Amino acid sequence: MWIAIGSLTVMGLVMGGLLGVAARFLAVEENPLEEELKSMLPGSQCGQCGYVGCSQYAAALAKGEAAVTLCAPGGKVLIESLAKKLGVKADLSEHEEKVPEYAFIHEDLCIGCTRCIRECSSDAIMGANKLMHTIIIDACHGCGKCVPVCPTDAIVMIPYKVTLRNWHWPKPEIEQAHSEHEVEHAH
Amino acid sequence: MSDRINIEVVYALPHEQVLLKLQAPQDTTVDGAIRLSGILEKHPEIDPGRNKLGIYGKLTKADAVLRDRDRVEIYRPLLADPKEVRRKRAEEGRAMKKGGGESAA
Repeated sequence: MWIAIGSLTVMGLVMGGLLGVAARFLAVEENPLEEELKSMLPGSQCGQCGYVGCSQYAAALAKGEAAVTLCAPGGKVLIESLAKKLGVKADLSEHEEKVPEYAFIHEDLCIGCTRCIRECSSDAIMGANKLMHTIIIDACHGCGKCVPVCPTDAIVMIPYKVTLRNWHWPKPEIEQAHSEHEVEHAH
Repeated sequence: MSDRINIEVVYALPHEQVLLKLQAPQDTTVDGAIRLSGILEKHPEIDPGRNKLGIYGKLTKADAVLRDRDRVEIYRPLLADPKEVRRKRAEEGRAMKKGGGESAA
């Protein structure tokens, strides 16, 4: 029994030591900038930027291959903060602030093909083969990825109606340079 | 391990979606979860025998046993006849998008 215990202990120590050494010397360099950019993005993996998901977009941003203006859900605020982080000038002239939208299925056109369900990254579409598909509006984050895959054009994006419940004061317009100056003053 | 599982029961209409989160005992079936959720009282038009049932987009039988985090879905039938929709679109001369077999014409 002691031989077994001893040999396993030795094996454990040797292999553990090897792993420890390997972790130190063969560590994969992770780009800290990439990680930081990733944490700034919405993380909903909607793919509207044209990349597979948020981390791929962050990687492209870190390499300087992608424009900072591609993230639609992030809006103007994200573009500005990304531009600041990367030290580039963001061209906001062509940027159109999108209002929050949700997808809606026209029931008389839905043929129950499940293509939109497979596309949805937030499980916001319920339905099954040859049965009615319905958007669960509360779960829909409005990425619009289901719209182009629908073979019968049954899905449309609808902007949220402003009601007493969800209306809020518009955010004040901040002039970038001006506000930075004032922040410095405050300190 | 707790002996209860977290599940959801969903019934969706175009303008109103009911998503009920509930804890159910282990070995609860699809049918059992629907009864437990009380959705039948809110929507008397649901008939567990007639409405098709499923879990996350996959049709299942009413006596299928649920696992933790399953979403039980109560489906409604299609309003359109898929063949009819395709025919209409063909007549209008609009090609079906991706995957529409008859789009070549």
